[in-house]
Amino acid sequence: MIVLAGVAAALCAAAAVYLFRLFLRMVPGRRRWLAATATFGAGLATVDLIVWVATGGGYFWPAWTILGLSALLSLHAWIVSRPPGRRERELAARVGTLTRSRSEALDRQAAELKRVERDLHDGAQARMVSLALTLGLAGRMVRHDPDGAERLLDEARSTARAALDDLRAVMHSIHPPVLADRGLGDAVRALVLDLAVPVTVTGEAPSGLNAATETAAYFAVAECLSNVVKHSGATAAEVTFADRLITVTDDGTGGADLAAGTGLRGIADRLDAVDARLEVDSPPGGPTRIVLRIPI
Amino acid sequence: MLLRDGIVRMLEAYGFDVVAAVDNGPDLVKELVGQRPDVAVVDVRLPPTYTDEGLRAALTARAEIPGLPVLVLSQYVERLYARELLADGAGGIGYLLKDRVSDIDEFIDAVRRVAAGGTALDPTVVAKLMDSREHIVSLTQLTAREREVLGHMAQGRSNAAIGTALFITEKAVAKHTNNIFAKLGLQSSEDDNRRVLAVLRYLDG
Repeated sequence: MIVLAGVAAALCAAAAVYLFRLFLRMVPGRRRWLAATATFGAGLATVDLIVWVATGGGYFWPAWTILGLSALLSLHAWIVSRPPGRRERELAARVGTLTRSRSEALDRQAAELKRVERDLHDGAQARMVSLALTLGLAGRMVRHDPDGAERLLDEARSTARAALDDLRAVMHSIHPPVLADRGLGDAVRALVLDLAVPVTVTGEAPSGLNAATETAAYFAVAECLSNVVKHSGATAAEVTFADRLITVTDDGTGGADLAAGTGLRGIADRLDAVDARLEVDSPPGGPTRIVLRIPI
Repeated sequence: MLLRDGIVRMLEAYGFDVVAAVDNGPDLVKELVGQRPDVAVVDVRLPPTYTDEGLRAALTARAEIPGLPVLVLSQYVERLYARELLADGAGGIGYLLKDRVSDIDEFIDAVRRVAAGGTALDPTVVAKLMDSREHIVSLTQLTAREREVLGHMAQGRSNAAIGTALFITEKAVAKHTNNIFAKLGLQSSEDDNRRVLAVLRYLDG
């Protein structure tokens, strides 16, 4: 009996060492605590058995402590294996959303940079090359053919203007000037002035938004309004700012769908990256109502 | 900086007397109100904020001195800003892309026009209007020709200049402008002021 208890003590000690090393290796979390409990249990059982063997056996009292420790361990294991609670599920879902929206945001940003690079390369840069060439030619002609040089200089001037037009277009597509100057409200007001459908803007745009959220909201409203002009057949539209809600409504034929087409989906994805939400209510026959929810 | 020196040199070469050249909004307001120049050439973006400091300075100064002629230059033109500048109906407003400076004669002409209380809106603003203002009721009453004339008026051209641009007589232009004023419901008053109001109506859409 004593020999058997000695073997059991040795086994428990080995288990304790193994569990302790496991505990050290594991990432912090619920399972790591379970390993800690198991290490503690195995350690205590080892000590009990050694003490029982050392005191010469007799009534096998360690049975009670081992039983108790087993019960404790089982309880802990049960708690650990329980399905995650509501809060945890929410957190897991949030991590999933963040991972997805982050990778989408990075993809979009990379694609956007590529577009800007191409626009600059094909537009302003090409014109600058031609400008330098024209100026060089004009410089060589200025003595023996002043009239020709003057013509070339005229040409150079219009090329410079065209290059500036290109640069303006690119800058506008990255960050509209009025958005930088005045913020979301006036940027939208400036935008609607250039649309072919009359749009009224009411309410105060939310202030104190961070730059990313403000830009995303601006481009979302711009895309919505561009849809109004292109697809809705609407005769009037309205943009309403109310607290953290931006509502775009039109009296068009409706049928806008988040699932169909890439336009609205693109807006929703872009808003996702700044935790804003898009709600579309657009029954066939209209009217269409799109709500942007901006996080606090 | 570069542009400011260039413009000062250009204006002086054309016989203007430059009384002040400043590089920020607060100084600009102080000089505009203090010196009461015949005309001011202002960049929209100025220190300290580099947003629309120049525009705000111009509006502030004009609130103190109604009709103070201001020619605003910008890297981009926005109808919203054009409307704000013209909103007081007092005229003496120019709003041009910086690129226009390269056409020196046109630019100097615009400065003179603004100094005389007229308007000089950038063709880009006017072109945008032509594209998007089809639906405006008061403007749909105008014939295509009248809209064209109104577009030139917005750029600040005189009847004679509009006539040359459209290959019609000055008298024909005057007929068109009178029709425009009538259709936009502008009572006959001082002609220049009506021109500004017509342009403003046009911008308001």
